Amino acid sequence: MRIDARNLLDRLGRNEFAYKEFEDRFSDLELWPILEALLRDPRLQTLDQTNVENAAPEIESSDPELSAEPLKNLFSRYEQQSVSPSIAKSVVEEPARDVRAMLRHLSDLGARGEI
Amino acid sequence: MPMIVCHGPKGGAGNTFVAAHLAMGLSAQGADVTVVSVAARDTLPLHFGLSPATSLPAITAPADEAVLVGGINLRSWRRAAEDLDFVPMLGELGYFQPGKERVLVVDVPSGETRLARRLIEHACAHVCTITAQPDTLALLPQVFGEAGAEGLARTAFVINALDETRRLGRHGAAFIRELAGSRLIGRIRLDEAVPEAIATLQTLGRYAPASVALSDVQQIAEAVAPTLDSTASAWVAPVSLAA
Ligand SMILES: Nc1ncnc2c1ncn2[C@@H]1O[C@H](COP(=O)(O)OP(=O)(O)OP(=O)(O)O)[C@@H](O)[C@H]1O
Ligand SMILES: [Mg+2]
Repeated sequence: MRIDARNLLDRLGRNEFAYKEFEDRFSDLELWPILEALLRDPRLQTLDQTNVENAAPEIESSDPELSAEPLKNLFSRYEQQSVSPSIAKSVVEEPARDVRAMLRHLSDLGARGEI
Repeated sequence: MPMIVCHGPKGGAGNTFVAAHLAMGLSAQGADVTVVSVAARDTLPLHFGLSPATSLPAITAPADEAVLVGGINLRSWRRAAEDLDFVPMLGELGYFQPGKERVLVVDVPSGETRLARRLIEHACAHVCTITAQPDTLALLPQVFGEAGAEGLARTAFVINALDETRRLGRHGAAFIRELAGSRLIGRIRLDEAVPEAIATLQTLGRYAPASVALSDVQQIAEAVAPTLDSTASAWVAPVSLAA
């Protein structure tokens, strides 16, 4: 338990509160293979394409690997077409690093309390 | 009078709860709201504090049979799924015109995907309520694939019954947020007051004015309001309102 939480509970004279620290690590997100499996599905690109004109503001990141590759590009670089076998193929062949980058990004946001 | 279609891919996610509170929120903002349930088994009246014995009048029923709660007109159309005249009828009744004054909110059960698609074509917004649970996430590729880019252009996502004290819930919500970007217009926290209000036959606002789910869902109604005037086929929530 963090010291400030401990002090707060002591001052309140309440020790029976359930205490849990909400910290998400990159490795935690990798615990759920379903997320990675879903990110490999080419149909999820559809939403990314419709987001292009109105994308959320760029999320600043101190991680150079991520700054070099904005998150919204992770999908759009699989070509701007609707689902086709060639895209499905490229998605299966090359996305592993991107998927991990996205999961890492999510966990960074979690660590900064932004999700 | 514009139409807002409430429809999610998975049952029990809170679609009816959100439809009811969108109706209440838009009504509180001054709109003349009609909410229509097309569910064969209908729980919509419960969110308005009505008793389980309530049976809503058909959308075509005369005004003297109307069920009004706080000025909101509650209606039903049970055979909507088989009735090919339903969508044209709504058009003739003037429900597809933009404007803030009169609004139609339609609660479409998760199973009625074809009816939902037919309605969304004419709607100013499609509010898609999902939970952050993994079985719901698993349906998203199919949802996106069926809707296509054009259908998704009108879609705004809402995460409901979110439990941020659970790691999987936080991760699921983060995943949706990253995927949907500014199309995620809000999240509604898990709140026991929602079923408790139903059990006391009261609206949530009356039973628990301080309910977190109530304030969350009110914010969603505010985020949806700008679509009522929209004539564009695509609508994206202002980024400042994204959860
Ligand atoms: N934020 C919330 N916190 C707690 N309970 C909730 C919340 N939202 C909805 N519920 C409860 O979850 C249940 C399902 O909600 P609702 O009936 O709105 O789902 P639905 O998506 O319309 O389901 P169906 O697909 O069967 O029509 C209800 O008992 C409702 O009271
Ligand atoms: Mg329902």
